[in-house]
Amino acid sequence: MDKARPKNLDLLSIKFPMAAIMSVGHRAAGILLFLLLPYFLYLLQLSLTNETGFALAKAELQGPWVKLTGLVLIWALAHHFIAGIRYFFLDLDIGIEKHMAQKSAIMVMVSGFLIFVISFLLLL
Amino acid sequence: MSYQAKGLQAWLFQRLTAVFMALYILYFLVVILTTNHMTYQLWVEWFSHPVMNTATGLFFIHLVVHAWVGMRDIVLDYIPNDTLRLTTLACISFFLIISCLGMLRILFSLSLKI
Repeated sequence: MDKARPKNLDLLSIKFPMAAIMSVGHRAAGILLFLLLPYFLYLLQLSLTNETGFALAKAELQGPWVKLTGLVLIWALAHHFIAGIRYFFLDLDIGIEKHMAQKSAIMVMVSGFLIFVISFLLLL
Repeated sequence: MSYQAKGLQAWLFQRLTAVFMALYILYFLVVILTTNHMTYQLWVEWFSHPVMNTATGLFFIHLVVHAWVGMRDIVLDYIPNDTLRLTTLACISFFLIISCLGMLRILFSLSLKI
């Protein structure tokens, strides 16, 4: 491998258009969902054990900290999901032009944020 | 899937698993949001149904493949140090294997309930 390939690690010198921010969000959301995997499994296991476990799992979801984590999680899933749909269209060469891709990136960011706000209002 | 999964293969895996998971999640959300009062009885019956039980198992297999490809891509992009990269990848695969065992346990305990 060419060891002298150019590198630019000065993040401040790199422009971040909306598509880049959306992409970083997609990755961050993916990591978040990955890390919370054991917690999902714990909740599923607990809720399926017996009547008491089900009530415990339900009560746990009502706690303020879990609610907060839940909201971040809802955003992560929504953003990851919608950004994924955008990538599908890009793979099919739909919306691949620069201004279209920029528009769809903004749409992904906005819808992820909207779902976050709606869930916040519903859970309040 | 091996650590060596080639570009196109990984790319394809990522998309095929995404489609399955998207359908499962949509179905899951529709059921949850249209059920007014979810009880333990309904919850267990739902997950014990052979189709839902199998679909949940499949969902988890897809999830593990999807997470592995995604996490691997991120690690390969951002960790240039060989030792650190391999260690991180090993940790991720360990994490996923343990999660798999946990999921297997849940599905198995469910099959004992029926």
